[in-house]
This record gives sequence, C-alpha cells and structure tokens, in this order.
Amino acid sequence: MITYLEAIREAQRQALENDPRVYIYGQDVGAFGGAFKATKSLAQSFPGRVLDSPISEDAMVGSAIGAALQGMRPIVEMQFADFSTVGFNQIVNQAATMFWRTGLPCPITVRLPSGGTPGSGPFHSQNLEALYAHYPGLILMTPATVEDAYAMLLEAVAIDDPVIFCEHKYLYYHLKADTLPKEALPAGKARVARAGRDATVVTYSAMVHESLAAADELATEGWEIEVIDLRTIKPLDTDTVLASVARTGRILAVGEAWPWGGVTAEILARVAAEGFNLLDAPPMRINSKDTPVPYHPNLWGTHRPTARSIADSLRVLLRS
Amino acid sequence: MHDMFRLAEAPRPSCTAVEFPETYRRAYRWMLLARVAEEKIASLYRGGKITGGVFLGKGQEAISVATGMALRDGDIFAPLIRDQAGRLAFGESLLDFTLTYLGARSGPMRGRDGNVHRGRPKEGLLPMISHLGAMVSVVNGILMAHRFQKKENTVGAACLGEGATSTGAFHESLNQAAVEKLPLILVITNNQYAYSTPTHRQFACNDLIDKAIGYGVKGHSVDGTDLSACLEIIGGAVAAAREGEGPQLVIASNLRLAGHGEHDDAHYISQHFKELQLGRDCMEVAQNHMLAQKWADASMFDLWHRDSQSLVEEAVAHSLREPAPDPAKEDWCALASRHLLEGNPPQPTLHH
Amino acid sequence: MPQLGESIAEATIVAFNFQAGEEVAVDQDLLEVETQKATMGVTSPCSGRLVEWSAQLQQSYAVGDTLGYVECSEEEAHRLGLDVPATPEMEHRESLPHGYSPADEATSFVRGLTGHQSSGVAPTLRGLPVPAHASGMSFLSPRLKARMAELGLHAADLAGIAGSGAAGRLTIEDFEKFLSQLDQQKLSQASSMRVAVADAMRRSWTRPLATVGMPVGIDSMLSHRKTCDPKPGPALYALRALALALGENSALAGRLIGDKIVHPRSIDVGFAVEAEDGVLVPVLRNADRTPLSELLVRYNDLVDLARRRRLPPDATGGSIATVTNFGTFGLEWATPIPLPEQTLVLGMGAGRVVPRWHAESSTFQPATEAQFTLSFDHRVLDGGGAGRLVSRIAELLNSPDIL
Repeated sequence: MITYLEAIREAQRQALENDPRVYIYGQDVGAFGGAFKATKSLAQSFPGRVLDSPISEDAMVGSAIGAALQGMRPIVEMQFADFSTVGFNQIVNQAATMFWRTGLPCPITVRLPSGGTPGSGPFHSQNLEALYAHYPGLILMTPATVEDAYAMLLEAVAIDDPVIFCEHKYLYYHLKADTLPKEALPAGKARVARAGRDATVVTYSAMVHESLAAADELATEGWEIEVIDLRTIKPLDTDTVLASVARTGRILAVGEAWPWGGVTAEILARVAAEGFNLLDAPPMRINSKDTPVPYHPNLWGTHRPTARSIADSLRVLLRS
Repeated sequence: MHDMFRLAEAPRPSCTAVEFPETYRRAYRWMLLARVAEEKIASLYRGGKITGGVFLGKGQEAISVATGMALRDGDIFAPLIRDQAGRLAFGESLLDFTLTYLGARSGPMRGRDGNVHRGRPKEGLLPMISHLGAMVSVVNGILMAHRFQKKENTVGAACLGEGATSTGAFHESLNQAAVEKLPLILVITNNQYAYSTPTHRQFACNDLIDKAIGYGVKGHSVDGTDLSACLEIIGGAVAAAREGEGPQLVIASNLRLAGHGEHDDAHYISQHFKELQLGRDCMEVAQNHMLAQKWADASMFDLWHRDSQSLVEEAVAHSLREPAPDPAKEDWCALASRHLLEGNPPQPTLHH
Repeated sequence: MPQLGESIAEATIVAFNFQAGEEVAVDQDLLEVETQKATMGVTSPCSGRLVEWSAQLQQSYAVGDTLGYVECSEEEAHRLGLDVPATPEMEHRESLPHGYSPADEATSFVRGLTGHQSSGVAPTLRGLPVPAHASGMSFLSPRLKARMAELGLHAADLAGIAGSGAAGRLTIEDFEKFLSQLDQQKLSQASSMRVAVADAMRRSWTRPLATVGMPVGIDSMLSHRKTCDPKPGPALYALRALALALGENSALAGRLIGDKIVHPRSIDVGFAVEAEDGVLVPVLRNADRTPLSELLVRYNDLVDLARRRRLPPDATGGSIATVTNFGTFGLEWATPIPLPEQTLVLGMGAGRVVPRWHAESSTFQPATEAQFTLSFDHRVLDGGGAGRLVSRIAELLNSPDIL
C-alpha cells in the first residue's frame, strides 16, 4: 500500500533522480524531511539538492524564479498553503507574468499543502486555488487520488509554466492505493470518478471522496449520481463538465473553499453561459461557510461540505 | 541595427584595476549618453508622445555607470528605474530604451510592459517588476543556479533606492543571500527622497550602512556624486563578491535631481540639500575632474555631447517609425504550454 | 495636450512662451500648463515656425486636444521620425469590434467619468417581474425550452402530459418519455396552413375570452336582400352593421397593452372564408364609411381571390374585428375565437323560422332569426358592453336601408 503523501515523495524522488535540473527548496525539507515528511530521506539521497530555506516565502519563490530563468526546475514546498500569501507577490506578479512579458518560460512548481484537518484552525486549513487561478499565467493542480498525486506532480515539474500544486493534507495519510500508475490522464483533463444518470457533481481534491460517499447514499434511494473529478482546475475541463450535464441535466458544484469567486462559481458560470439549454434545473453549488475556517472540530465539522450535506443538496436538486 | 547604438568599444574590463583616464572617459560618455537620452525622452513626454510614466536617473549616473561597468559577460544585473547609465554600460542597446518608451512592438517587451520595466533575461539583464525589492531574490536564484551548474566567478548586482530598504522583500532577499553566501552586490542609492518621502520617514537607523552588520554582510559607503569614488568603491565591492567574500552592501549617497517621475515637479525637495556635497551634479563633478586632470577639454565635451545627441535622435526617429502593437495580431497567450490554454485540447503526457 | 500623469484628464494653459510667427526649436518649452499635481512645460515636436495657437490662455483642455501648430521642413520631419501617421492603421480591423479604437475607449471612459452628474440614485428594479424560483406547472426549464424549439413545439402541445417535477412541472425526462411514446402511434403531416392557424389560435387563447349571444331577427335584412342585384351575403350585412356600430364607438374594438387601450385607426373589418384545411380572413377597409353596395363589389372580388388562394398581402391583416358565418354549415350557435390581434369576433348562426310571442295579438307569429354570438377579450369589454354592441348590430340590421 502507498499513501497519498508517499506518492508525492516518490514523484519528487524520481524527479530528482531523472533530471539534474530539479531541486527542492522549503522550510525543514532537508534533514528533517519536511513538516509532513514529504521529502523524508531525499536530502540524504540527493545531497545539496534538497535545501532548507529561511522563513522567507517571498525570497523562496523569487529565488526559484531566478533559478528557473537560469535553466533549473525548482520545487518550492510551502509549509502550509496559508503561508503562501507571504510569497503571493512573487507568484502572481513575477512568475505568472514572466513568459508573457519576456518570452522566457518560468518552470517552477510550488507545492501547497491545502485543506482542513480536525483542529487545524484558520491558518492551517486554507484552499487557495481560486486566488491563484484568477491570475493569468499559472497552472493549478488539485489531485484527489494517490495516483494523481504521483503522476500530476511529475507532470508539474515537466511543464514549462509555473504550476501551483494543491495537495490535500487530510488525504496525506488517510488515502491509500495499491500501486502507482504507469500512465495517467494529462493535466487539463477531468476524470469521471463515478458514472451516473440523474445529476452531475463536479468537484476536486478531498471533496471528490465526500461526493462519492454521498452518491453511494443516494444510490440506495434509486438515484444514480455522476461524479466528475476536475484534477486540474486551471485549465478547467469545461468539455467534460458540459458533456456530463448534457447527460443528466442537473449540476451540483462542490468545493471546500469559500463561495465568493471560487472554483464552484467558475464552474456554474461556464455551465450557465455555455450549457444553458442543457439545464433542467437551476445550477447549484455548495462550499464552506463564508467565515474563516474554525478551529473546534464541532464547528469545523459543519463549516465545510460533508457527504451528508452533499447528499442533502443533491436531494433538493433532484426534486426541483 | 542594435550594434550601432552601443558606443563601439571592446569588452568592459573589470574595475578591480581602474585604468584612469581611459576608464574615466568611458564612464563619463555612458553617463552623458544616458543624460542626453533621458532629456529627450522627458521632452517627448511633455510633447505628448509617450503614454505612461517616465522616470529619470538625473543625479544618479555615476553610481549606476560604476555598477554596470564593474560587471562582465555572464554576470547578472537587476537595474531599477534610474539606471539608464548602468544599463548602457552593461551592454543594453539604446534602441531598447527608445523602442520601449515609445511603445513599438519590436522592443524587448513587445508592448506588454513599458518604460523602465524592460530587460533581456537571457543576456543577464533582468526586467523589473514594480514591487520594490522583488528583483533581488531573483538574482539570488540565478546565482544559486550557477552554483548548481558549476559556473564560477559570476556575480549578481541589484540596484535599489533607500525607500526599497523598507520592504519585506529587501529584507528576505538580503538575508537569504547572506545565509546562502551568494556573490550578490546590492547597490542602495540613497537620494534622500522616495517620491515625496524624506529619509526620516523611511528608516530610523542612523546610517543605512549599519544594516550590513545586522545581515552579516560587508558594507561600503560611497559619495555618489564622485565618479572616481564610485568606480573605485563599487568596483571593489564587485571584486570582493567575485572573490567569494559573500554579499556586499553598498550605500551610495546623492540627491535626486529630477521629480520622482516626469509627472512630478519635486517641489517638496528641501533646498538645503542643494548646498551639501551630496547635492552636486555628478556630471559637473566629472567634467571638472577631467578638466583638472587634463583628461579632456571643453571641445571634447562638446563633441561627445553632439555625438550623444545624434545617436539619440537617430534612435528616437527609428523608434517612432516602428509600428505599435496590433491587438488583432497578438496571441494573447500567457502560457508557454499552449496545450494547456483553456479551449485547447489537452495532449497526452510523457511518462517514464 | 500631453498626458502628464496617470490619472490626469486635462490641464489649464497658464502661459504661452512663443507667439504665432516666431521660430521655435525642437524640445523647447512652447507653453506652460498646470495640472492638479504640478506646472510643466509642453515641448515642440520639431524646429520650425509656430503657425498659430488654437488654444487660449487660462482655458482647460483635455488630454489629446490640439493646442497649436508648428510648421517644419520635410527634411526636419524625416530626421525626427515625424513623417509617419500618429496612429498607424492596424491591419485586420474587421476582426475588432465594430468601430473599436483603443484611444476612443480610453477617452470616452474618461469623459463618462467627468461628464456624470449625479442627482440622487433611483432604483432601476422594483421587485422581480417574474418569480425567481423554478417550480410550478408553468415553469419550462432551459433544456426543455431548447428541445421544444428544436422540435417546433409549444406549451399548448404539451398540455396533455402529466409532469413529475416539483409542483407538477414538466421535467425533461417526462418530455422525452412522451416523445418516444408518440412514435408508436399513427402520425400524419399537418399542412402549413394548419400549423399557421394553430399558432394564431394558440396565441389568441392566451387572453381571457368570453362570449355573449342573442337571437337577431333577420326578416328585414332578408327582404332588403331580395331587392338587390347582385345579392349581398348575410355576412356582409352583419359586417356593415358591425362596422357602423364600431364607427360610433371604436373603443369597443380597442386593444389592451398594459394599462393603455390602443384605439383602432380605421374601421377595417375582416370576414372568414373557408379555404382548404383552414380559414382565410380578407379585410374590408373603412367599412364604416363605405355603403353596402360599394362593399359588395370588393367583397365578391376578395372571396374569389381567397378561394383561388390569390389574395394579395395587403388584403389580409390589420383588421380590428372579424365576422364569421358558420350558419352555412348548419350551425345555429358557436363560440368563435378572435384573431390574436383582435378583440372581437362576430359569429352568425343559420337562420331559422321560429315562433315569436306577439303581445298585441296574444299569438305566436313566425319570424326568421339567427343566433349572433360575440366573442371578445374580456380584459377590454365586459358583458354589458358586448351586449350593447350586439343589440346595436341587431338594431342596424332591422333598418337595412341605412347600411
């Protein structure tokens, strides 16, 4: 068995082994192996290529950009997605604009440990994919499975543009698979995680699993729910989403991030604009509540969508 | 075409051995060309030919040219808004200056960025983003890459104003360079004002050079109005970095002799600075020095001035004739990976 | 006027440094202008002669406005690179939005800002005109509407289907099931005339229609008819009587749009002619001002053209009411439906000899009567108005000489 976190580690190990241009830069990633052990033993295996950085997210990203201009393929590990905002300027104003302004690609990969776990609180739980997706020039990956965590990180390093890799902390040790894949869908292609007939759920990352659980519950009531795992939210695979809505006529977009301007808003905007006549019911979405992420597990438990709340939303959608 | 606009002379020597008067004259001619070119751009701005901002380096030429001249091929230079002289000395074509300011699509930024936000990263000249301090860690990263790639004897220079020393990016980058022991030269020009903000509202330490101790780096102070001092001290700092002595912090003092930008008339600059040594115009100081040393005379200044003017005129005339960007012809593509542009079908990935 | 700062839109001229006719040099400051941020000089683009100032001292001018002209030689213009147009023509202009020019966009945006006068904010939306929630039998989802459009169907076609959605609405699944069952039944193609009439009747029915009826004595009319040659049909008599009655009070044939009644411009009345698989309605214009004998000629022409399907386009349409004689089918009574653009339709049943009580002789006397029914848009007329109209028609028919 291999966990989601081990898959990320294995992808990094292979990247370091197969491409001398790759190096890893982040807080505590060296001898310590990283706060979540994503780089455990890599510093020993690849001396001088897994470096401890000072607590300087701006300089971490800025120096990665410089190294990338000079031909390297840096992987920057942010300790938590929530801290990436200290390096926000370098990501969105320097990395994302470099190719457009100068014609030189900026092949950096920034890993963002994202999402909530019980007790993680407001500053160790955030999902920032929509924030970065808003800026032109970035690729946003949100792997939901062990297989995708592995394959997509390898692809991220190979892509010539800046990739923001949003890995979900809850999935790190809770999600396991038998083996790692030899091939995978490419970035930009969504996966039909579960085929259905009566309604489409479009989602990504940890919410894919909550949605699948909700679909199982509804199957006992005679409804067949289709679940789409976006995998990459930018570029967003609108074609697969629309094809699914063409089959079912109903859509529920689920996201763990906040509602305003989030990924779910973007999905619904596209379906309403490009697939209006496919809809038999108004498009629906469910997100976290519009407050900072609460600390106490009781509050956190209802703050974000769960299999139960997704199932309830689906029942409303199916009956409207 | 571009070669016409470099003062056609041999590769720049390192300034560890400053060969006056040759070096001095060369430096002065870069400064003069920068001054004349900027005067023309300022006039074009007030003639309605330029959209957006215009930023002059008047009064900063000596500091800037000394930095540019100390760098060699393979080094990295991150200039800021008042470094026209340094850019020319580093090897940037005058045409890059006029094409970018006049918005021609054949300029290095192709209309996507303008005025001082230009560069040629492949040639080591980094195009600035507007956030002050942000370029320094990029220089750090390139130097780290050189280390990985076993490229030796290179250095990276970044220029900042005293206002930029207040940013978090400055702090993080200098600290990072010190921790990684990178061959970075940070040239801080303290021209007494950041836009309209005087220094006592910018920092509380007695002298910016005191920060060197805090970061664990070597510091150098220099009178920015004195070209000889700039050539020697900045050249020395670059040499020290190249010798492996770690990051070097240079604090050069002068007075800004123009507005923050050409839209600003700088009425807030205190007159008392004009009476101090740092209020001198470095061009006049250099001219007086060359006259005193008999390295040049009035007729040579005149000739050089006219040469500069005709070079600038030609560059401007050429640039005005170049077409502007055409939105219908733009590819409007912000990604190098075209297959990942939204609307384009994804391609299969390569796996082991 | 140059752009002297990012958010600057205009500047005021505070001094001219040169007068018309004077020689000026390139880069010299020709005049001084003041913005909100600073006072600056505006430079000459070339060396030459200042021809004239088109601007005035102490006046403000917008960025881009012409302030004056300097004349220079061709060599000078070429040397300075000024011999190209200021805004070069962009190729592929047709791929830009019509009339698009980036400079225009910037200035009109600025003008919009500076020209705006705000005198309080009035709300543009007073509540929602339609319910925002999608449920209920009248709701057709976008998908359903798209499918219906694809197949040329209307809500009326779906009246027979039971909906399984919220509050009984028709879901796409209900619809697709219905369609697949249709294919299992005998189908034949409807003619285009049939489809056109179906559409007209469906649209007409969106209004609340009601009908009043009255038996009308037609002996006077029949006697008058015997004296004519050629003989006008009974429908023509009714049409003329209706036209005269409406000429006296045209509001009865008005149309209700919102809270306004649109009065007819002229009393144009149509009459129904059965054509194969449908009904045509030729129109007699200004029927209130045209005596019966004259109407007859036009009437016969139109009937002939209608039967041969040769009616010109201006012969139909634009009528404010229609008369239909279904008595010819043996019907005594019916409730016709007015055309969608009409408020009234007058129907005539077959004439019958019936006994009428004669009070003076206390006997029943034979009289020829036909049932007249008036169907009307009940938003415009009530029973009383409708009834009075039919009575007036009956009255006029009893004095056929004045028709």
